[in-house]
Formats: sequence, C-alpha cells, structure tokens
Amino acid sequence: MKIFIVPKKLLILLCVVFLYSCQKEAATNASVQTGKSGSITRFTIAKNYLYVVTNHYLSVYSLSNPAKPEKVHTSDLNYDIETIYPYNNYLFLGTRTGLYIYSIDTASAPSLIGLAKHARSCDPVVVNDSVAFVTLKSSSSCGPAQAGLYIHDITDINNPVLKTTIPLPDPAGLGIQDSILYVCCGSNGMKVFNIKDPYSPTLISTQTDGNYLDVIPYNGILICDDMEGIILYDIHEPGKPVLIKKIS
Amino acid sequence: MPFDLPIKTACMKNLLFIFCILLLTSCWKFNPGYHSRPKVWGNKPVYAAVDSAKKILYDPVMHPLINAGNIYAFKDAIFQVDVGRGIHVIDNSVPANAHRVGFITINGCQQISIQGSYLYTNSYSDLVTIDISDPEHMKIVSRLANTFPEMAYDYPLIQPEESGYYECTGYREDSVIVGWVKDSIPQGCYKN
Repeated sequence: MKIFIVPKKLLILLCVVFLYSCQKEAATNASVQTGKSGSITRFTIAKNYLYVVTNHYLSVYSLSNPAKPEKVHTSDLNYDIETIYPYNNYLFLGTRTGLYIYSIDTASAPSLIGLAKHARSCDPVVVNDSVAFVTLKSSSSCGPAQAGLYIHDITDINNPVLKTTIPLPDPAGLGIQDSILYVCCGSNGMKVFNIKDPYSPTLISTQTDGNYLDVIPYNGILICDDMEGIILYDIHEPGKPVLIKKIS
Repeated sequence: MPFDLPIKTACMKNLLFIFCILLLTSCWKFNPGYHSRPKVWGNKPVYAAVDSAKKILYDPVMHPLINAGNIYAFKDAIFQVDVGRGIHVIDNSVPANAHRVGFITINGCQQISIQGSYLYTNSYSDLVTIDISDPEHMKIVSRLANTFPEMAYDYPLIQPEESGYYECTGYREDSVIVGWVKDSIPQGCYKN
C-alpha cells in the first residue's frame, strides 16, 4: 500500500507545482500585450524585459515598472550588432560577423550559447521551429559576403549549421507566415518563398509594388515597410498575397 | 630713484605696445582654416538646444514620410519610424482604409517596441517611455538619459541623408542636430 501512496502524494505535489508554474506564466503574459516588430529592429521585449542592442552593447531593462524602465544588465560585445530577434527562450542577434544566440533562461542576464560565423555582412534574422533564416546584404558599408538568404539548422541550438544559401539582390527584412517566407529586396521586389522544405525553398512569386525594406505578417495582413510608406497585403492565403492598400 | 621712473615707464610703454601687436597678430591665420576654405553648395546642420530638441510632441495630423525606418504593429495600429524625426501612427482598423492619423515628434529616434500601454523608443542616447493608452493624448512618462552612450555621437541626423558636401560636425554638449539645410558652406566633409 505504502508504495502506492507515496507516488500519489508526489503526483499531487507535482500537479500543484505544475499548475502554479502555469498560473505564473499566464499572469505575466495575459496582463500585458506586446505587438509585433519588423525583423529589422534593435529593441525587443521578452519576459517583461526590454532588450536593446547598440553597435557593441546588449542592454537589458526591467519593465516591472513599465512606466519607468530600469537598466539591469549590459554586455560589452566585441562585434557590430545589427538586429535582435526573440524566439522562445532565446535571443538571436544578427551581427556583422555572424548569428549569435543567447539564452534568456535568466531573463535579466542573457548568456551566449551558440553562434554561426559568416563573412562580414548585415543580417536580420527570423526563426521558425528549428530553422533560422538570415539575410545578408552585401554593400560597401556591410561587407563583402555574397548577398542572399542564408538558412541555418538550429536543432542543436548550441551549434547552428548553415544548410542552404540562396543568392538574392539586396535583401533586407524578412517574415514568416505558416510555410511561406517573405524576403524584402528593396527595389528588386519582395520574394515569396514556399519553405515547406526549409532547406530548399521554392520561389512562388515576386511582388513589385514598392521598394521593400521589411515586413510584419500580422493577423492575416502582411504589413510592408516601403520607402514611400506602407503597403498592405491580404495573406489569408499566405502564398498568394493580394494587394489591399498603399499608404503614402 | 627719480631717474628710474621715466625709464621704467618708457619700458612699460614699449612692452605694452609689443604686447598689443602680438595680441593683434594672434588672430592672423598662418594656415588657412576651415572657414577660409573655398565655398561649395552643400548641406549645413541645423542645431537645436538639447532641451528643446528632446521635446516629445504628438500631432494628430498626418505628416509626410521622409526616411522610412522600423515598423511595429500593435492592436489596430501600425507605427512607422521616420529615422531621426519621430514615429508615424497609422490607423489599420480597416486595412482597406488604413491611413496616417498622427505623428510623434521624437528627434534622434530610430527604434520602437510596445508593451501594454507603453511605447519604448530612443531619442538620441536616451530611452524614452511614452504612454499611448489614450491615442489622442500620447505623452512622455519617463526618460532614461544617456543610457545608449554610443548613440550620443552616432545618431541618424549626424550626417545629411543625401550625398554630397556637408559642413563637418562634432559632438556638442549643449546642442544636437535636428535637420539639414542647403547653403554655401566651406568645402569640408563629403558623403558618398
């Protein structure tokens, strides 16, 4: 009998702990709503902290008093940082020397856990499940890497592996909706890829309604950052964007 | 002793004269300086005192987009940074009828993120928190000064946006650049 009682007690204890952890998580998530950023950004909010990258620093601000952020941490990083992208428990830093991955298990003090070096370049990042999509721009200010879409396998988060490179003209921001990837290529249009097989994307179409800088897939609408304003597409069928409106 | 005085006075007079001459010549330029260089047509910085440049104002009318920057979607709104100038607010409640509704003037602005009722952005090297719970009356609620030291020297308008000659600039304690105007300037810096 005793043998059965002890596991039962343990089970109850475990359930209570589990419930409690859920409640806590829900409390922090439900009370405050964040929006969605484009992929080119140096500010991001996760776990009630604001993470900011400047050229050589990663800084962390506590938002426990949301009206008055307080700096709680700064890392001096020895590389030129371009962008920051949060995914699950990680921060992905696009830098001019590679893709750096930080764990935010301890949200107030991110720790470097993985990196994929590449030639000097600029690069926003988006992440889907176990795949990281990075665009590298090759311009005088960004460096000599071949411009294109770089796809990394991040199944082992500590050791990202470059799987595929697709040359693209002047790529910038990018975004994912379901199995569709949108890549902004400035005046060369916006490339729409099917990424069902993430390591061999197929180009579905190129949209040419503007000079595309960045995108946000948002509630069935694709918000495009255009040199002249904003372009909106209906993406209820993500592979077939339908132009809704150009805001100049 | 009685003879000493006039001699001394004469000496002093001479010294004073030499000193005056030296003082005058100190203004002479033996090497042509920046401002005596040949003039060219280019961009001249517009400075504003830090206090007035860092004022944050919400104007509930549309402003033209000058230099498109980062974008952010929050609820029914889209925010678009106008690099160095501020943030455009777009009403996206009906996407087919989406339109600009206002502009938040934030000089030195580049970044944006939002959580709950608060928009976080930068103004030069400061982290700024803006209460957006009442969209018609957005207001600044806190400012963390010089928390991004790199941005004090490297803010968007430190150089003009277009290529060509521009008047060289440097860090100033009491003022920042809020814009550029065309003028005849000494041939100095050049942007490719």
